[in-house]
Amino acid sequence: MWRLTLAQMRRSLGRLTAAGLAIVIGTAFVAATLIAGGVITRTSYDAVSASYADADLVATSEGGLTAADLATLRDTPGVEALDGRRSLRVELVSGPQRAVPEVAAVASDPRLEAQELVSGAFPTAVGEVAVPGPMAERLGVGVGDPLTASRQVWTPDAAQDPATGTDPEEPAGTWTNVPEELTVVGLLSDPAGAFAESGGAVLVVADDADRWAAQDATGSVVGSSGDVATATFTRAVIALTDGADVGQVTAALEATAPEGTTIRTKDDEAAAKVSELTNGSDILTTIVLGFAAIALLVAALVISNTFQVLIAQRTRALALLRCVGADKRQLRRSVLQEAGLLGLASSALGLALGVGLAQVTLSVLGRMNSGVPLPPTVSITSAVVLAPLVVGTLVTVMAALAPARAATKVAPLAALRPADAPTLAHRRSLPRLVLAVLLTVVGAALLGLAVVVGQSSDAFLALGIGVLGGILSFVGVLVGAVFWVPRVVGAAGRLLATRSMAAKLAAANTVRNPRRTAATSAALLIGVTLVAMMSTGAASTRTTLDGALDDQFPVDVAISRDAPAVAADGTTSDPVTPALVATVADVPGVIETVALRDLFVQLEFGGATEWTDAFAIDPAAAGAVLRAPSMMAGLDDSTAVLSSGIAERLGISAGDRVTLTPELVGPDGVTAATGEPVELTAVLTDLPGGVAFTPGALARTGADLPTNQVWARLADSNDASTVVPAIEDALSETAVQIAGAAVERAMFQRIIDTLLAVVVGLLGVAVVIALIGVANTLSLSVLERRRESATLRAIGLSRRQLRAMLAIEGMLIAGVGAVIGAVLGTLYGWAGVATLVGSMGEVRLDVPWGQLGLVVLVALVAGLLASVIPGRAAARTSPVAALAVD
Amino acid sequence: MDRTVQPAESPAAAPRQAVARPKLSLPADPRSAATPPAARARALSKVYGTGEATVRALDAVDIDFAAGAFTAIMGPSGSGKSTLMHLLAGLDTASSGQAFLGATEITGLDDGALTRLRRDRVGFVFQQFNLLPMFTAEQNILLPLELAGLPREARARAAAKAASREWFDTLVATLGLADRLTHRPAELSGGQQQRVAIARALIAKPDVVFADEPTGNLDSRSGAEVLSFLRRSVRELGRTVIMVTHDPAAAAYADRVVLLADGAIAGDISEPTPESVLAGLDALRSLDGSVLDTAAAR
Ligand SMILES: Nc1ncnc2c1ncn2[C@@H]1O[C@H](COP(=O)(O)OP(=O)(O)OP(=O)(O)O)[C@@H](O)[C@H]1O
Ligand SMILES: [Mg+2]
Repeated sequence: MWRLTLAQMRRSLGRLTAAGLAIVIGTAFVAATLIAGGVITRTSYDAVSASYADADLVATSEGGLTAADLATLRDTPGVEALDGRRSLRVELVSGPQRAVPEVAAVASDPRLEAQELVSGAFPTAVGEVAVPGPMAERLGVGVGDPLTASRQVWTPDAAQDPATGTDPEEPAGTWTNVPEELTVVGLLSDPAGAFAESGGAVLVVADDADRWAAQDATGSVVGSSGDVATATFTRAVIALTDGADVGQVTAALEATAPEGTTIRTKDDEAAAKVSELTNGSDILTTIVLGFAAIALLVAALVISNTFQVLIAQRTRALALLRCVGADKRQLRRSVLQEAGLLGLASSALGLALGVGLAQVTLSVLGRMNSGVPLPPTVSITSAVVLAPLVVGTLVTVMAALAPARAATKVAPLAALRPADAPTLAHRRSLPRLVLAVLLTVVGAALLGLAVVVGQSSDAFLALGIGVLGGILSFVGVLVGAVFWVPRVVGAAGRLLATRSMAAKLAAANTVRNPRRTAATSAALLIGVTLVAMMSTGAASTRTTLDGALDDQFPVDVAISRDAPAVAADGTTSDPVTPALVATVADVPGVIETVALRDLFVQLEFGGATEWTDAFAIDPAAAGAVLRAPSMMAGLDDSTAVLSSGIAERLGISAGDRVTLTPELVGPDGVTAATGEPVELTAVLTDLPGGVAFTPGALARTGADLPTNQVWARLADSNDASTVVPAIEDALSETAVQIAGAAVERAMFQRIIDTLLAVVVGLLGVAVVIALIGVANTLSLSVLERRRESATLRAIGLSRRQLRAMLAIEGMLIAGVGAVIGAVLGTLYGWAGVATLVGSMGEVRLDVPWGQLGLVVLVALVAGLLASVIPGRAAARTSPVAALAVD
Repeated sequence: MDRTVQPAESPAAAPRQAVARPKLSLPADPRSAATPPAARARALSKVYGTGEATVRALDAVDIDFAAGAFTAIMGPSGSGKSTLMHLLAGLDTASSGQAFLGATEITGLDDGALTRLRRDRVGFVFQQFNLLPMFTAEQNILLPLELAGLPREARARAAAKAASREWFDTLVATLGLADRLTHRPAELSGGQQQRVAIARALIAKPDVVFADEPTGNLDSRSGAEVLSFLRRSVRELGRTVIMVTHDPAAAAYADRVVLLADGAIAGDISEPTPESVLAGLDALRSLDGSVLDTAAAR
């Protein structure tokens, strides 16, 4: 049978190539994903273990390791060097520039040093520091220059009884700023990215590091527990003597180490840390492989379609074989062999393509110098090779199962019938219809249920039900495609048919072979539905979140500053200076600004008190800057605006007299009253939280509180993603916190947009494969209809009309798939949003018309393009062929 | 091949027509002298392939086909009958020489002009029927009109519609297709399909209808039906038909039989009968034989 299989494959090489292309793309996707997953794992291992330098072993302790513990461990036979590691930071100041890097002690053994010296020397004495090159540049210092460590040190009151001095409830003492003068002795580089995520680490001698750590430990007042003071190291890195047995030393170390200490090799430690970070599974690779699976499913549809047509074209040959004695099993095997060969060859090509793509990407990224150390070449594991080959071949063979069965159904008699345009049997079986309807209805019901469940309770349960419902109903839609897709295509075609002859012919052609049209459209439907679902989901999530944000944050941008402003002459003033307000107001996109006092007040009513956030703000200015000015309605010097939440908790109703006392929060987080109580009339508005009153009312309390906040309103809240960074830039010299609806919105928008772009990009592969399917179907039709096309040409159809006919056919199939996909995707997207964010508040459904329109347009254009090559082939055919007797 | 041994248009061919046959009660065609021929070939040649594999399918053929006549072309397989027809109908391009449809020279026309010419002035009937399977009989018949489109002005449009409707009814009635119009090709017998194809060929009132072995796939009864319809379309509907056939009985339906051998005209029989056609073919065969004999003798 092999000889026959090969002969038949040779004859249908063109068709098979087109079908194989779908598998090539799918498997390339799988291979590239697996390689990318490997690179990500390797890179993250390297990244987390980079700070261990060339340590042989790493000791980690839950409870922490004291200096004494380290000394014990260091004495273990086989240990050459051992350094403790801890997380410690220091604020470095040089003129107006500041940085807050990590601090590491100079390693006792070169093998344990993660950074490299670029110039100068490693610190050898107290007061010396080595700084990462880029940081030194930012601070404007070089080797030999002075640098100030600005350290906050907590000094308990001398009078304090040592017995109660550690009582966290009532500590007394003062924070003092102790500047320490350091000298830069060396510049460092961090080639492995050991401190990439913390922005670099400075090196000092162990004495300095230990002292700072000890000061910080005793200075951490609130919530400090005993172990913080004693456990000074979180892990230790260990270098072994040459020839020491890793297992023996590990065992010896484990024996002497305190309870809860784990000793692992550097790689094991990295693996443990990564799995801790990623929650034990490689989620990213899993998700991307999910998209690869979708692409392969679409490829399977394309393959199945192609094989069905191949079988139909070979009806006569197959029947002849049956006449001369081939049995059904042989024919079936021949088709499956063909599919297997095609699958294997295509998968091998796909694998090569995927590996090549990954390598090119790595090289490009490597050259771009992104800062992440990447491996120079892809590492090819057996999984990377086997998975695409096996999956690709299996998918192809599975896709050919139905066509193989069709091949066995060819009656020997078919050989005796005159050759005709092959037609596929299109029985519309009742069981299929029942199954399709059942799946769709049950799936839709589950989707509805998910929305209801999502509103009230468990989001995870709702998501599970929703995904199940979505899959069931979509499978139902696909199974039923053969019933309804040709009808829709036919109806769309009839709309067009009145226009021109070409359209009429195209419309008639698309409904000739319902199963093929359905399968071709369905392949596109899958990708488009998913793309539309994601776009709609993203758009609706965004509007829903926008709505929620508007309710939650009354202002677009709130800029707070705690530290008093220091003028050039050393005088201090309120944190928010008029100059700062002006800077914010000057940022393009900001239309209103107001400076205010953000403070804490104690609110008292009817004996109950509550401690709450409050704003002292001018009513007129507030009205201008707030998205909802009604929040400040009724605010004057004799009133206080309360949020409904507080009013409810304290049983306050509008018109009640409430008492407010401003409070001050010390650096220890403890509050103290700073003014006289003032009585105000309560006004209830939809203020999302806290209390608002006027500066006039605040003045009556006698409290002298600084202006510490600026509220800004943006011209267009959708510009958040550009205006917020602009404000950040404008204020980069000052330490401020920026919050507000616009900030959150900018963040959400960035996340949603990035996710959407990635997902759509991944789904794009499935759409591309489906479009290959459209081109494939069209060119098959052209082949089948050679005689017919020639007849049409003979009786007066021009080449242009012939090409137009195929173009319209392609656009009909692609367009219907895309439009239905867009509609379905919108529905699924809505259901998904209603399920997931339903519990967060009112769901606002949105249709991303622009994106959906783009998807449909792309599909139409692609349908048009798909018809170009087949159209040319058809137009080239001489009409003489119509008269030829074959 | 030595042209002089061929009986074409030579007096030697005349005696063959003496084979008795009731003369057609057709008045001598008055147009034959006055109107130009419906199709003409002048030194028309067609060469396929190059080098060793060159096949001279048509070799400088000169022939006229009278308008309003039913002409049959006969000859051995591979003698160039189909090729001649394709060139005359503008389906294929000639290697040299000229072909005319009415007064129009079609050799040298571009594809667009040829397409329009085929659409408006030529009809085809094929051995394989070649109906479009997705359309009904009526839609198939009207296809050429739809391809041509209707005039733009409303009045001309209405007039054109009415005229073509009348012509359609005439054709359908003549061809006996009235009760088959809503059927698709797959639901029609071979003979019915060929009648639909004839109606399709005639619907645009073409100057010439070309038929390549229209009865090749039909049984003798359906074949006879189709042939008599072709003849009626000439006699009663005033069309011009040029038909290729292998069947002497079919050729006898024609007003004239042109014999082709090795790409050249090898004989011309007017008012043929099955017997006269057979005799002509036999002469051709013996001539071929003699040529072969002489070739062998050399
Ligand atoms: N496309 C082609 N390429 C090469 N040679 C061709 C082609 N078409 C026809 N021929 C050759 O031209 C010659 C005439 O062919 P044509 O089809 O005109 O013969 P015919 O008289 O119609 O024969 P038949 O009675 O078998 O239909 C033959 O020798 C044939 O082999
Ligand atoms: Mg022929």
